Amino acid sequence: MADAHAPTRTAVVPAPARRPRRLAAWLAQERVFRLVPFVLVEGLFLLLLAIPFGLTVYISLLKWRASRPFEQAHFEGLGNYADVLADAEFWWALGRTFYFAAVAVSLELLIGFVLAMLVARTVRGTRVYTTVFLVPMMVVPVVVGYNFSMIYVDSGPLNQLLAPVAALLGVDPRIRWLSHPVAAQWAIILADVWQWTSLTFLIFLSGFAALPRPLVNAARVMGASPWQIFWRVQLPLLKPVIVIAVVIRSMEALKIFDQSVLLTFGGPGNSTQTVAFYLWRQVWQFNKFSFGAAASMLLLVIFAALIYAGIYLLVRQRSVALAEGRG
Amino acid sequence: MTVRRRLAPWGRHAALVAWAALVLFPIFWMISTSFKDAWEWVAWPPHWLPHEPTLHNYRQVFTFTELGRELSRSATDQVFNIWPALRDSVVICSLASLASLLLGTFLAYAVSRFGVGGKNFRYAILTIRMVPPIVIAIPILMYYAIMIPHTTTVLFGARLSLFDTSLGLGLLYTVTTLPFVIWMMLSFIDEVPYTLEHAARLMGAGRIYTIRRVVLPLVASGMVVTFLFIFILNWSEFLLALTLTHPNVTTLPVLLNKFQSAVEGRLYGPQAAIGTVITVPVVVLGILIQKHLVKGFSFGMIRR
Repeated sequence: MADAHAPTRTAVVPAPARRPRRLAAWLAQERVFRLVPFVLVEGLFLLLLAIPFGLTVYISLLKWRASRPFEQAHFEGLGNYADVLADAEFWWALGRTFYFAAVAVSLELLIGFVLAMLVARTVRGTRVYTTVFLVPMMVVPVVVGYNFSMIYVDSGPLNQLLAPVAALLGVDPRIRWLSHPVAAQWAIILADVWQWTSLTFLIFLSGFAALPRPLVNAARVMGASPWQIFWRVQLPLLKPVIVIAVVIRSMEALKIFDQSVLLTFGGPGNSTQTVAFYLWRQVWQFNKFSFGAAASMLLLVIFAALIYAGIYLLVRQRSVALAEGRG
Repeated sequence: MTVRRRLAPWGRHAALVAWAALVLFPIFWMISTSFKDAWEWVAWPPHWLPHEPTLHNYRQVFTFTELGRELSRSATDQVFNIWPALRDSVVICSLASLASLLLGTFLAYAVSRFGVGGKNFRYAILTIRMVPPIVIAIPILMYYAIMIPHTTTVLFGARLSLFDTSLGLGLLYTVTTLPFVIWMMLSFIDEVPYTLEHAARLMGAGRIYTIRRVVLPLVASGMVVTFLFIFILNWSEFLLALTLTHPNVTTLPVLLNKFQSAVEGRLYGPQAAIGTVITVPVVVLGILIQKHLVKGFSFGMIRR
């Protein structure tokens, strides 16, 4: 389309005569305008993502620890990949990550959905509630980790609130939550739920706001009970929003790292070691560079499958969500 | 039925207030701790409000020069000083966000108007955002710390490294936030009707003039929102900053983490002071743009 109009356009634009305008005129050409930002961004991606990933594939084939100079590394083939796949701790960390993400995301979806439903039905104070509920996602995750470590500490407010229960059971109320494997895992999950329920709440709230009222009213007039309206009318209409929330939160939750470092440092033992934390220790603490390179490439392959599944779901639901958002 | 009708709103409000209390409590606890003196940090039973409120923690964190003499003997003296980390965080986050905003906005314009990059470009760019940062950090570490120094030594005879520099971290932040900018700006630019631009062009305005006088004013507020959003993301970023900078460059989240890993005698008070200083401005910015947050976090999947 553009090419057909090009001659008339150049005729309409007054030809710049002065020299300094040359650059501006050159920049204003459509093909330059199309290409310059694209080339710049793609160039940046190439320079900062593609080349490093190529390098990593190469390093993953070497036998090399950072404690020795790079020149002494020798070629090893797929040995590192075999080492990673044979490492029980890698699989354990991967399993932990999926377990954390599954539990945390389900809780976030459930609580976020209920909150959004309650706020959508409330008349007064909607804005105050929304503002307060959105605060956690603006808090720096590291600060969240610090805050929760303060709450879980043995002389912290959590133990104070639980003191009557502890007294009833005859236990010392000053429980050290983060020293117990299961409690430490829940500590991380709860910190994540605290922070990211705000996002699911926000997504569901906009879903509820976009629900077409005539449909609900029609169902009510026809004598449907509130229960029926919810299950038969509202929930099916909210399905695209639910899918979007699930995909976006799951992809983010699988990256979990900050709270493992801040709250528990992977411990006690390795009970709260997520896959990101595991890799970080292998590379930055044990200097196992080529091992880490192989592990990160394997992780990339595993995640690529998830990402494509996620994006497929998003693209399919996006058109539905946008169409309803206009209604 | 009537009783249920009358009670239902109260039940709703009770549930909502309960969640609001849960949300605000950790923040309240941090702010309260930041005003507590050392003996109150881990008192049992804990003090909900400081019994003897003090500004000592803030003084310790901010007025490093005053206390410098006595503190410089302790091993943690570097840790106390918030100023270098504050400077690095502000400089890196604002410059990287700005670069990302400019690049991303122009690309979003080209994608929206000319379909640059093909139909699936938007989704292709989304994949970058979904890759876990640790998978990016390892290649970047090897690239910054090994390949670039090697290459520059061979080519120019000078050893350059991007590891542990503001530039290196800033470049990475620019790349990792670009998908957000492109998605958010696409949603804003798509809303500007093309007929407006077309009319301006027909009346003889040049392309750059059209963009400056017609498109930019209409998306300016969107650009501000996008900038603030990615600024908050960069400000909170922890993994890349922790792994790619060590002694020289420190961002605020990394600084806070240094306290956390100190095993002997945790310094809860100064930590709370730093946490408050990091959090409050960002939460204020976030409340300003909260209506648009869903656009950023859901990649424009949901309108609001």
